[in-house]
Amino acid sequence: MERYRPSAMRQQKSQTIPQEPNLVPIMNLFLTIIPMLMMMVVISQIALLALNFSQGEGGVTTGGGGGGGGPVTEKVEIHILGKNYAASTNFLGMEIREPGVATKNIPAINGFYDYPSLDKALQEIRSRKGNLNDITVLVHPDVLYGDLMKTIDLCKVHGFSQVHYSAPKVQYY
Amino acid sequence: MHITDKLSSSNKSARRVRRKFEEAKSLSITSLLDELTIILVFLVKNISTEAVKISSDPAIQYPTTITNDELLAKGVATPIKIFPDRIVVGTEALEYGSPADLLENPKKRQDLITYLSAEVNSILQQKDAETCLLVQADYSIPCDYITEIVRAGTAAGYSYIYFATLEDADWLQKYNLSLAQQ
Repeated sequence: MERYRPSAMRQQKSQTIPQEPNLVPIMNLFLTIIPMLMMMVVISQIALLALNFSQGEGGVTTGGGGGGGGPVTEKVEIHILGKNYAASTNFLGMEIREPGVATKNIPAINGFYDYPSLDKALQEIRSRKGNLNDITVLVHPDVLYGDLMKTIDLCKVHGFSQVHYSAPKVQYY
Repeated sequence: MHITDKLSSSNKSARRVRRKFEEAKSLSITSLLDELTIILVFLVKNISTEAVKISSDPAIQYPTTITNDELLAKGVATPIKIFPDRIVVGTEALEYGSPADLLENPKKRQDLITYLSAEVNSILQQKDAETCLLVQADYSIPCDYITEIVRAGTAAGYSYIYFATLEDADWLQKYNLSLAQQ
């Protein structure tokens, strides 16, 4: 009868302390890898703007950029006019040209391009042409890169996913 | 030893009895290990060698944009950094010269196209790789130089061209405010 007593059976087991796995090598590995990876992490991650090219426009060579490049049926152009152009015409700002629509001028304010007005103008174009994806930005040589990026950005914000970049042949008389 | 000390040491009743301390338990590092594993997985997931190539340069004042296009999954980018006074080309950060050389020096312009063509060829040797040119320019660079870079990139055979910016969802509101204050 005694051999069936549960307490007696339990006491037959060895009472040694369970061995912990040796974690020191894996800790060393982690302490090497993690600082290395943290050094590679880019804290200030930059954004990207994809670019398309217009076929046979201006001086920029053609190419298939940004996943597009098909024929542009309804052509909307944004001309960013430079200060050299303004010296001869007394107009600094931007022009929006559409076939069959009068050219919309967006004058600069105190020498700064009026992006809020451009934003409204693009919104208005989007409301009229809901399916239009292509838009062309023509930039004069002396326009700053930051102004070009802001213009392209606003186009993309309003759903013009295929933004074409072109440099007009500028002649000053 | 003094005799009084000898006597006191022989007195068993006055002997100090040290309390027996329990053995200190070993510090459990399981939670630390768990934490390190989580950090490691997070870092491995987020890190890529491409991010190193397109890391921002503190010497460049990037324009801000609301939108952010993703680089192609199979895109291999060649960075071109245009500072106000110099141009740095490629992942090896080779000094090219000044931005004015792009417009005024036909030989240097041809050198750039030759270099970019070699880069395109080396990228295309990788399976399914897409050629991407990544332009990182300072805000104040005239677009004339940008046009020349884009022209050289397309002439060399790059399929995709990206411009580097800093993402800022509120730049238009800030710009509007600054215009109103003037």
